[in-house]
Amino acid sequence: MTGKGEFAEFLPAYLAEVDELLAASQKELLAVEEAVRKGQAQPRAVRELFRALHTLKGLSAMVDVEPVVSLAHWMEASLRLADQAGGRLPESSVEPLVEGLRAIELRVRQLGAGKAASPAPAGLLERLEALGPQMRDAAPRRARRVVLDADAAFASRLAASEREQLEGGLAGGQRALRLDFVPSSERAAKGLNINTVRERVAKLADIVKVLPLSGAAAGGASLAFALLLNTRAEDADLLDAVGGPPATVRSLEAPAPAEAPSGDAASLPGPAVLDEELEEPEVRRGGGLLRVEVSRLDEAMEWLAALVVNRSRLTRAVAALTQAGAPTRELTAILQENGRQLRDLRSAILRLRMVRVGDVLERLPLLVRGLRRATGKAVRLELDVGDAELDKAVADRLLPALVHLVRNAVDHALESPEERQAAAKPPEGLVRLSCHARANGQLELTLRDDGRGVDAQAVAKAANSAVPDSADALLDLLCRPGLSTRQEATRTSGRGMGMDIVRRIVVEQLGGELRMDTRKGVGTTFTVCVPLTVTLMDAIIFECAGRRYAVSVATVEELIDVTGVVRPAGADGVGLVERRGAAVPLVSLARLLDAGGPGSASEAGQGAKALIVRQRGEPVAFAVDRLVGQQEIVLRPLEDPLVRVPGVAGATDLGDGQPTLVLDLGALGAARSGRRKRAPRVGEWVT
Amino acid sequence: MNVLHVLFKVDGTEYAIPAADVVQMESFTGATPVPGAPAHVAGLVQVRGRVIPVVDARARFGLPAGTPSLDSRVVVGQLGERTVGLLVDSAREVLKLDPRTIQPPPPMVVEGAKGFVKAVTQVGPRLVMLIDFPRVVGEEAADVDGQR
Repeated sequence: MTGKGEFAEFLPAYLAEVDELLAASQKELLAVEEAVRKGQAQPRAVRELFRALHTLKGLSAMVDVEPVVSLAHWMEASLRLADQAGGRLPESSVEPLVEGLRAIELRVRQLGAGKAASPAPAGLLERLEALGPQMRDAAPRRARRVVLDADAAFASRLAASEREQLEGGLAGGQRALRLDFVPSSERAAKGLNINTVRERVAKLADIVKVLPLSGAAAGGASLAFALLLNTRAEDADLLDAVGGPPATVRSLEAPAPAEAPSGDAASLPGPAVLDEELEEPEVRRGGGLLRVEVSRLDEAMEWLAALVVNRSRLTRAVAALTQAGAPTRELTAILQENGRQLRDLRSAILRLRMVRVGDVLERLPLLVRGLRRATGKAVRLELDVGDAELDKAVADRLLPALVHLVRNAVDHALESPEERQAAAKPPEGLVRLSCHARANGQLELTLRDDGRGVDAQAVAKAANSAVPDSADALLDLLCRPGLSTRQEATRTSGRGMGMDIVRRIVVEQLGGELRMDTRKGVGTTFTVCVPLTVTLMDAIIFECAGRRYAVSVATVEELIDVTGVVRPAGADGVGLVERRGAAVPLVSLARLLDAGGPGSASEAGQGAKALIVRQRGEPVAFAVDRLVGQQEIVLRPLEDPLVRVPGVAGATDLGDGQPTLVLDLGALGAARSGRRKRAPRVGEWVT
Repeated sequence: MNVLHVLFKVDGTEYAIPAADVVQMESFTGATPVPGAPAHVAGLVQVRGRVIPVVDARARFGLPAGTPSLDSRVVVGQLGERTVGLLVDSAREVLKLDPRTIQPPPPMVVEGAKGFVKAVTQVGPRLVMLIDFPRVVGEEAADVDGQR
């Protein structure tokens, strides 16, 4: 099984590369579809799509992923024909191509999850294969093509646009010709050189390109110029303009498409240009970009964190020396310089991890396209994301939440075109996603639709609860696990579930915030705030019940001294503190952390300080014993299922070699109070 | 072919796991408890810059809690992608065990040990239990609440 071992070795690189190619393919396919809808040719997008699939096929063949190879092969074959038809596709061909791409993507995901790629669906392969003849039919009847039979080197020097220009000339009733001019000293003496020839020919024809050709040319010369022309002039006049033989005129027009063999679609004798051009992107890719696996960046981050921790040990050791009276002035200076260098290194590594939000959202247009088809609704997706950047780890986790939101917007929020017209709205619905980075290290994304708005009464009914009186309360209901306002499962959103998942990702996993604003008949806006990075953050360090904890500064609204606590009867130990005229619940963090344990911490609710954090939109004060200070920390997410618990964002090292928990107080409070509330409810069931 | 094993003690009984599954041994200086984690999770420790969970073998085996001492060790095991520590009373020996001496445990042990012990072997006069490390550590939090 050596093959398997090799495969595993190449898989990460393969997946990274394929991901990029798939993203590019989706983008180009959307462009192709757009053109098809408008009845236009889109030679550039067809060609780019072809290229991406060609590369994808090659890579997949190298790692022996047969299903992807065959899917890509038939898509590529039909696109080659489309390219030969001048970038025109029949409308019926778009859907199989979209499905093909989706099938490839699915198989790549399977590989990424460590599974084997399932076989390519036979029906789909057949449909893709059948695209070939359709593509040929899509070519305009009078399409005439330019063929470059001269020599391969020649063909590769012709840009796609120049080719199109030649073909455009043909379509416009001109001839496409190659006129060879052979210079000689004799001719030069008569004033015939390439510059004068250019001028003379330009009077008779449109010169598309002039190519010098070296090597033996007609008449024994070693240099010739090939002029590629669109013209209505006679051969004789053209020959005369370049000084007569040994100059030659040749037609570039390809034989009529009808003469092409009608057998295997892929074996059509295509122009060499496409394959030649395939070399190009490899060169272009070199443009200062490097693809790196995230695990390698994580590794660099690890080493950096180790350095930071080691530095604090060093600092302590130097302080001890200083105290003992040793001469440490120079050591201290070095230590300071070292600290600066570490900070610079840290921000450099963090920058490496940032990805453009625009790149992350590349998938959404295709998603909306699929939803358009599945729901029969007219939808326009507007992306306004600028060049904001986001840590790769955050981006990866955030994307599924955004997909949910977009899906819900199209499936639930937007009305059918008829309903919209009846409500005096344009038939096409609008979904607009915009985002910008905020100053406090957070990214704010808003997803707005102009649909029907959330029906609070229907949600309340579905949740079997009272009609909520605020947007926050309504969002709370929407985010109940398993809630659905739909009777029937739809193809796109299952039973309309998913808001709980969105909230879990945004609030619990990323320590962000989710808000909603909805107006009946006007639309709904979701606002998602997430930290730009979860790897490095400003944290407040505090002590509680004898241990140190950290909490992200961005989540804390205020630090207060706890005085004048009121303890209402029956509030389960929750107190109230006054804050600017409002009563804020005061929760003992010690008690929360010890939840379920023997009542040791029940008296510890008398923390001297409290952190005010929003929990489900409401301010809650968490009492702690002592504030230690504020510092930048490196967050290590807790991946192991044993310790992946709500309310704990991860761990950090404050320099003592012991992990310190980084808490997400809002999520912690919500998780614990949810547990407390649920318990009696179960009891009610039993009795 | 004899297989190298790491031997450790919990409450006077000797246990073993294949050395190939062990990344390293650490002395135990306390763990950071995680609120809401299963009861047998002692907490988090930092090992070579990584933060890993530590399962308390005594708590897992249903034994009375012990007092960490200078002998206490964290046996750091590798379970596929996961790295998890097991807190044991002591761990001093590495031995080659002859597979022919390894026997299935008596049925009564199987019932009582929740599948944690998968075999018994003899090293001279001593009986050594081979543990099922993945099972002791638990597949996921929901599985290991002691409710099966």
